[in-house]
Amino acid sequence: MDDSHGRKFQKDLNAGLVALVLLAVLSRSSQDLYGYEIAKRLQKANEGESLFKEGTVYPVLRALSANGLLTSRIVPSYSGPPRRYYRITAEGRAVLGDWSGIWRQTRDFVDRFIEGAEE
Amino acid sequence: MNRAPRSIDEYLKQLREALQGADPALIQDALYDAEEYLRAECASHPDKSEADVLELIASTYGAPEEVATAYRDTEAKVNAALRPVTPRSIESPNPLRRFFGVYSDSRAYLSLFYMLLTLVTGILYFVFVVTGLSLSAGLGVLIIGLPFFLAFIGIARVLALGEGRLLEAITGERMPRRPVHPGPHAGIWARIGDMLKDARTWTTLAYLLLMLPLGIFYFVVAITGISIAGALVAGPFLVLAQHLGWDFNDGVSVMQPAILAAPLIGPFTIVLGVLIFTALMHAARGIGRVQVALARALLVKPGM
Repeated sequence: MDDSHGRKFQKDLNAGLVALVLLAVLSRSSQDLYGYEIAKRLQKANEGESLFKEGTVYPVLRALSANGLLTSRIVPSYSGPPRRYYRITAEGRAVLGDWSGIWRQTRDFVDRFIEGAEE
Repeated sequence: MNRAPRSIDEYLKQLREALQGADPALIQDALYDAEEYLRAECASHPDKSEADVLELIASTYGAPEEVATAYRDTEAKVNAALRPVTPRSIESPNPLRRFFGVYSDSRAYLSLFYMLLTLVTGILYFVFVVTGLSLSAGLGVLIIGLPFFLAFIGIARVLALGEGRLLEAITGERMPRRPVHPGPHAGIWARIGDMLKDARTWTTLAYLLLMLPLGIFYFVVAITGISIAGALVAGPFLVLAQHLGWDFNDGVSVMQPAILAAPLIGPFTIVLGVLIFTALMHAARGIGRVQVALARALLVKPGM
């Protein structure tokens, strides 16, 4: 089977899921995180084949920030350009709650059919 | 397809090429993000050379083309979601609705406010540039002359960035969110030389100077329009109040010229006042657009 079908399906799925995962990561973190740290956390949690490229995390962070779900501040760094640290806002937490509900509902709905089909 | 980049500078160069034609501000965001990641990745693998780290980048961070696509896609989606819904009346084929539709456009109110604000910012910018330039020239013979001049240019860039953010808030047009990416690392003298050779340094100063005459002009237009329209609309009501026995100004007629006090002319002056104010709102929106074009031309580096 051609691998490109799988990759395209994964990319379509990621469109909304990356934002959900980023909100979840930031809501569970007690301190502000910058892009590289977040990317590394995701990579560590996902051993083996990477579900998405770490470079795609950054534009989503910016988009969430532009929508007011995250706030950010810039901190100078010794190892290169200044780092942008992100923190989840109250609105972001509310949205995360909503999205988590939608995600569970979707997952259960999809599972019901897939498990039936595989039996 | 480019060959795989072997150094951070090469990666950034390819990323910039892959984003050619995108919004300059978006390109800067992407370059900053990529540099943050790549330098952090190199720093966390001190045992490997830069070329070795870069070899693995395509499978972790993504190749320049992939990352460029991610930025373009996300930006398109976010813009579609965030763009304020244009009130339908603005596009209405009915010219009357189109004319008065300006009242439902928040950008028109903000632009009008911007016109009033530019007198203040124009004076501040002008004083800053004139003081900075003359002190730089005066202190040039002393050892502190150069650091002073550099600090002056630095602050001018911050002001330019702030002006861009202000214009983005008012017109909704995307402006840069960070200073221009400095590009490949070079020595401090080379950087100073680049800065002096960079036309944008000088056009930024020109923009800041230009804001004084422009600010005065915008302020005068806005204040004149608001006062004339306000007087024409309020006049008839004052006349009416006087007839009803309200006493302004110890009974002396406050309406000058006296023709405004004629009873039948009232409705006409109100209509005229509303028309003038509506025209002013249209002018404000147009001026907002012109100002963005000017800021793009003088403050944002072309092709960056």
